[in-house]
Amino acid sequence: MQLTAAQQDALVELLNIGFGRAAASLSQLTGHRVLLDVPQVSLHAIDEVGEALERTIRGHVASVHQIFTGPVGGDALLILDEAGAAILKELLTSEPALPLAIDASAREVITEVGNILLNACLGTFGNLLRVQVSFSVPHLSIENVAGLLESLMVSQQGIRYALIVHAAFRLRDTQVTGYLMIVLSVASLDRLIRAVEDWESAQR
Amino acid sequence: MAAAGRKHTLDAAAERWFEELDDRGVFMTDDRLIVRRWNRWLAAQTGRRAEEMVGRALLDLYPALVDRGVDRYYRDALAGEVRILSERFHKFLLPITRNFHGAGLTEMAQTARIEPLVHEGSIVGTITLIEDVTERVIAERELRNQITASEQARHLAEEASRLKDDFLATLSHEIRTPLNAVIGWTRILRTQPAIRSQAHALEVIERNAISQMRLVEDLLDMARIISGKLRLNIDAIPITDVARAAVDVVAPAAAAKQITVEVLFDDELPTVSGDADRLQQVVWNLLSNAVKFTESGGSVRLQIKSDDGRVRLSVRDSGQGISPEFLPYVFDRFRQADSSASRRHGGLGLGLALVRQIIELHGGTVGVESGGVRKGSTFWVSLPTVPAFGTEAAPAAVEPREPVTLKGVSVLIVEDENDARELLVAMLEDYGAEVRAVGSAAAALEALQGGRFSPDILVSDVGMPSTDGFALVREIRALPAEKLRRLPAIAVTAYANPEDRVRALVAGYQNHVPKPVDAGVLAVAIAQLIARPLPRNHA
Repeated sequence: MQLTAAQQDALVELLNIGFGRAAASLSQLTGHRVLLDVPQVSLHAIDEVGEALERTIRGHVASVHQIFTGPVGGDALLILDEAGAAILKELLTSEPALPLAIDASAREVITEVGNILLNACLGTFGNLLRVQVSFSVPHLSIENVAGLLESLMVSQQGIRYALIVHAAFRLRDTQVTGYLMIVLSVASLDRLIRAVEDWESAQR
Repeated sequence: MAAAGRKHTLDAAAERWFEELDDRGVFMTDDRLIVRRWNRWLAAQTGRRAEEMVGRALLDLYPALVDRGVDRYYRDALAGEVRILSERFHKFLLPITRNFHGAGLTEMAQTARIEPLVHEGSIVGTITLIEDVTERVIAERELRNQITASEQARHLAEEASRLKDDFLATLSHEIRTPLNAVIGWTRILRTQPAIRSQAHALEVIERNAISQMRLVEDLLDMARIISGKLRLNIDAIPITDVARAAVDVVAPAAAAKQITVEVLFDDELPTVSGDADRLQQVVWNLLSNAVKFTESGGSVRLQIKSDDGRVRLSVRDSGQGISPEFLPYVFDRFRQADSSASRRHGGLGLGLALVRQIIELHGGTVGVESGGVRKGSTFWVSLPTVPAFGTEAAPAAVEPREPVTLKGVSVLIVEDENDARELLVAMLEDYGAEVRAVGSAAAALEALQGGRFSPDILVSDVGMPSTDGFALVREIRALPAEKLRRLPAIAVTAYANPEDRVRALVAGYQNHVPKPVDAGVLAVAIAQLIARPLPRNHA
């Protein structure tokens, strides 16, 4: 399954609306102007995701994971490489980060940022699909990409797809790039893509 | 019926467990944000009991939640979202005032989580969990402070190490320069004995040797100051005498650059309490610095005046001045405004550091003012004075020395280094002494006990292989012959600090002369010892 150029454009546009709201919340929380862009969206079968991610992320990643359930269900993750997470925390709190493993405050900050972004992203989809989704409590983990994907595969069976959303945080003249990954079943994905197409044609 | 009964019992037990949960705060609201549950921890921490809270609207109970935008999180929860409130962004959810001694916190630091409560597919309310993270926040802050402090310490150490590297580079250069002149001219003298400008060659050699000696003295002074071993011979001294002596020293250098040195002293200056030699070193350093950094034809002014119970000495020059950026570091050790290899002015950059250290040891202060680059500069020192009644006892700063002769005095010299031994022999023979020199402690003992030579005095090096000068004098003091036991002895050492002097005296020497040996000083020391025989009961 692949996204057409039109579907990709529509998704980028939709997500940018949601991210605009998330950026506004972050700006309000931190007192700094935070901008969030979605430059790119791509779709991968779950067993190809590792390869796609490892092209840009090496070593350990910090991921904020929330499971969502309802008429459309799946896993939503914010993924940052460990250095990116530390920089983001420093930029947001004006405070030098300790290594994430010993800095519980930094882990919490990243968890809250992930929570805001994932809610914005899934909220946007929920509105589009006119469905109510429920969320689990967000959890932060620090591991390598392979370990992260393994834990995602274990919980679910069947063919699943991952929508990978590039997210660029820009604040204080610095940019930190992260990824949102929405893992969906074929049926959920199909529903989402049709809704996106409907939205896109309604915009014309 | 039985199943329903068990469920009821379990619900009641769960409710009780929840109420009694005492390691975190938990409260529930319905879908209109009316408080429905308020656990014991919250009651204990907020001082508001469940009876007061249940049935009332959360945002009425805590109106500040609206001001802080937290009401939006509750709306999100009622729309199905789970919200995390990190301590770093929110500090706390509910204000709980606490007195955390010394931690600078007045509110309990909290993290919180707000979740929807879902029943049969619809959202019926919210649940909020609050965790006290105050201890964690304090620990993290402490850790961060320690990291910052250790980074600062590392930075300072790196800076100090860099300054020392620069200093070593400068030092190598400064030591080599006079050596080149000395070695170069010495070779010329040896290979061309008939050279016409012999006097000039000797003059260059002497000047460079003196310059190097001064450099080594500066280094030793600095080392003494750093290790806290510099001792001052404090006395009441007339500062103007000290200053005039320093002016005399720099006069030739100033004249060579056509720099006029103007001297302006107040009449009736109070007497200063201090070490005359050290203060002369201070004035000399300030003056020679001024001369060094003033272009030919410029001027230097030395002024001394009374200043509110103290004496203020200032040296103003019309030289190149000091940039405002460098001004705060002028008196720092090893710092030079220009430490590059191409710098125009020689020197180690120790002079002003010594000035500050010496003046501070005197309980005085130093300072510098400059209008900036090419605007000249004024260095000043301010010194404490002594009450007027003490001034009459003040000795002259420079004692005039009577001409000394050692005619008829026989001296035994012990020195393992040939050149140094020959130099000592030449010096003392010049004063008319009858000299015998040996190269080791063993040879000295043999000469003394052989009876063929009976010296009036022993002059011995201290640092020698096998038996050193300390051991030698101890052996002499233990000899059977009383004349030898009471033989006056002078130690000559390159270790020119007060502790070494004490060590020499304890070993059995009566006096101590530092290397490089000044012939006059040694002659005076010998003459004094011969005139004042050793007490009979000396061990």
